[in-house]
Amino acid sequence: MEQLTSSLAPPRSNNKSNVAGTPQPAAGSVAKRLSNELMTLMMSSSPGISAFPRNDGNLFDWVGTIEGPAETIYVGLTFRISIAFPPNYPYVAPTIKFETPCYHPNVDINSGAICLDILQDKWSAVYSVQTILISLQSLLGEPNNASPLNPDAASLWDNPEAFKMQVTKHYRPLKDESA
Amino acid sequence: MTHNGLRFQVASKWQDSFRRFNQREPGISGLIAFSQAWDTATEFLKPRNINEPLPPREYTEAVRAALDVIHKSRRLPTLIETFLSQVESQFYLIQQEIDQFMIDYALDLDVCVISTMILRIHEWMKQWTPATELGSAFQTVYINFFQTHLFSILPDSFSSAFQDFVASTLPPEEEGEAQKQDPQIWFTFDALGLNDRFDSLIASVGYEHIERHVLETCTGQWGEPMLTPTRDWMTTKIVPWMLYVYGRNARTAEEARAILAGVGSRFDFHMAKTLCDLRTREIFDIIIDFPDSTGALQDLKECLQRVDQRAALVQSLRQAHRKRLLHPGADTKLILSQYVATIKCLRIIDPPGVLLFKVADPIRRYLRDRPDTIRSIVANLVGDDDSGDALVDETEPPRPLQAADIEDYSDPNWEPEPIDAGPDFRANKPSDIISTLVSIYDSKDFFVKELQVLLAQRLLAAGDDQSDKVEKERRNIEILKIRFGEAALQVCEVMLKDMTDSKRIDQHIQSQQASVIHPAIISKHFWPALESSEIVMPGQLKELQDQYMAEFTKFKPDKKLRWLTHLGTVNVELELEDRVIEALVSPLEAAVIELFSEQSEWTLDGISKRLGLPQPNILSKAISTWLDLGVLAPAGEGVYRVLEVSADQGAEAKDHVSRPATTVEVEMPPVVSVQQQQAEQMRVYWKFIEGMLTNLGALPLDRIQTMLKFAPGYDRTITQLAGFMEAARREDLVTVRDGMWKLNK
Repeated sequence: MEQLTSSLAPPRSNNKSNVAGTPQPAAGSVAKRLSNELMTLMMSSSPGISAFPRNDGNLFDWVGTIEGPAETIYVGLTFRISIAFPPNYPYVAPTIKFETPCYHPNVDINSGAICLDILQDKWSAVYSVQTILISLQSLLGEPNNASPLNPDAASLWDNPEAFKMQVTKHYRPLKDESA
Repeated sequence: MTHNGLRFQVASKWQDSFRRFNQREPGISGLIAFSQAWDTATEFLKPRNINEPLPPREYTEAVRAALDVIHKSRRLPTLIETFLSQVESQFYLIQQEIDQFMIDYALDLDVCVISTMILRIHEWMKQWTPATELGSAFQTVYINFFQTHLFSILPDSFSSAFQDFVASTLPPEEEGEAQKQDPQIWFTFDALGLNDRFDSLIASVGYEHIERHVLETCTGQWGEPMLTPTRDWMTTKIVPWMLYVYGRNARTAEEARAILAGVGSRFDFHMAKTLCDLRTREIFDIIIDFPDSTGALQDLKECLQRVDQRAALVQSLRQAHRKRLLHPGADTKLILSQYVATIKCLRIIDPPGVLLFKVADPIRRYLRDRPDTIRSIVANLVGDDDSGDALVDETEPPRPLQAADIEDYSDPNWEPEPIDAGPDFRANKPSDIISTLVSIYDSKDFFVKELQVLLAQRLLAAGDDQSDKVEKERRNIEILKIRFGEAALQVCEVMLKDMTDSKRIDQHIQSQQASVIHPAIISKHFWPALESSEIVMPGQLKELQDQYMAEFTKFKPDKKLRWLTHLGTVNVELELEDRVIEALVSPLEAAVIELFSEQSEWTLDGISKRLGLPQPNILSKAISTWLDLGVLAPAGEGVYRVLEVSADQGAEAKDHVSRPATTVEVEMPPVVSVQQQQAEQMRVYWKFIEGMLTNLGALPLDRIQTMLKFAPGYDRTITQLAGFMEAARREDLVTVRDGMWKLNK
């Protein structure tokens, strides 16, 4: 499905994207909402979280960066995540995955899938990329060990030193290359 | 056998020849007769020295008979050959004379010598010419032979001497000393074959003459078209001369015209080319003088149609611009007015606008790089008082800005682009000057923004007699609306409305409680960012402000008044012990002097602390104003004291008292300029760049450029972005390696 970015793209690329696919009535307003969120996020300068569209021309696929919060096991580590917005965003939550392997009770170490209530049943249209990123950042320090995706990690959580070792073992630093 | 055969052959030849010469006469009488005839003929033809007295040559019966005999013996060719070799052997006589003439000429450079010499040579030639009865072939051979020889013996100096002579035959500029013209001399030239041989030389004399005349009469004469007068001059002066030189063989006027047509058009072309070259050299100054130089432009237009010098004109003008206009020493206003004049001038010369396009391109590029171009154009649009002459013709009705339109091929009057138009030539339809100026930039938004800034400055500087000036601004804005469109100038509209509103509000508040303050109340969102200031007004000034504010809050409870204390003017009256001083000063100056009413001595630091100014150095100007007015005097390092009694006593003191209100020059209110606003915008874009580099890793410049379109209103070119990134790199915010930009962490 060709995504529409008509509200943002300059006229020339606009034509291109308009050719393919029938435009969804809501696509324009979704793009507008996303670009507003981007603007807010860029101007807010929240420390340690950031996100940006992966490609020009597609506002529905973002890359995010979360720095491990201070005074947690993850301090000093930087995690990259992918954010995929559905066409009916914000009525449906975006799909978020860790791209950097993250050893965490609520994160699947292989697929990067995240178990976070606001990303599933507790999602609401008032949430934004920024709130998701902040939630994820705090999730790193305060896991929900009641519903673990990674039971090993959940059981290891009370032993910070062993946990830290596992985190470091799985962690791979970011490579600086364009996505 | 061979021996005998040879002998027989020789014998038969001999017999043959003998019979031919002897003409079957008995014995050798025929031979004798031939011999006599040969002698008579050669004697008759013999070229003689004309300096010696000689009997005239007569074509007698005897000569005729002798030639007859020779002819019968088929010996005429030999006779001609013999004659020519005789001529050759006699040629030294002529050479001697020519050498002598040339020496004479070298001595006093009198062209008469040359004409005498030529006549003399002609005499020689005539003298030696074989009689016409010998037949035209004989004569042609002779003339060719004579001319060839003559040319071979003419010395090198002859051509320049001849040139001088030809020049002397030209009609003089002044009527008085007209030289006697002898058409005969040209026939002589013709006879000697000089005309053909020195054709280019004669023509060059003509060309030089024309050139000289054009340069003398036309240089700097731009008011009137000079082409027609010059053509008239050609008709009266050059054509008669040409008649001698080229048209002397013409029997009728018709014939003369036919002969002169070719050479005449060559001369005319040369004249046009000379004039064209001259005007091309002068073009820059011609444009400066416009519209007083319309004549020269007309000339140039006509000449360019005759001679193809368009490229040279473009070259010359571009060079002149580079040298004289497009450098830091030239004022932007000057460049703009010259550009406008160039537009007007080149439209006259070349209506399709190809020349203009080629010439204008460097100017436009240069102007685009100048920081104050927009300001200058806008200042001119609104008719700033201090900008000498307006770029815009007041009589020209304002029109909406014209966009470059696409060619309409269905237009029945469509014409192809001129042949020398470049590939990116845009047919510049006769649009008005303002459209052309605005089109220097890609977007008219720059102009609208600058216009707002300028309008803000002018409205705030309007002072007390506001209504007139505001009215004038309103009129300007109305005119500009036609150009830029209603929507673009909405903000300006609000600004103007603020001015009238504040007058109304002020009237109301004054009616409630009279105040000496008459503020201009402006809507923050619609005005360009004004520099804020932290001046805290002291004493009675503060009281006045508070009173006014209280009244305002009563009148408009939902609005809040925030003072821009550093703007505006204050009319103060200082009562000192011996004098009263009135002055129109800036609020800061008023605040400073107000402090001195509390105590008579202040330190610079004390003042700045009291007024809430972080830097005391801003104060120095305010202090110096009062020092100049003789109200304050320095009392030690950084300490000032009021002069209650004037320092200069006596008569001068009275002058001070009676001095009318001193007007201190009030500066333009500091409005944040478009450039600063742009820097502000760039800060927003920087956030985006930071965001994308954080999440996407290192990126090349073009990628950053395309990604930046997620930032609302991003309109920078990649070059501008490159400059910006470079600046960021200097501040160690980013690093670049192999064209990949990376955040510096």
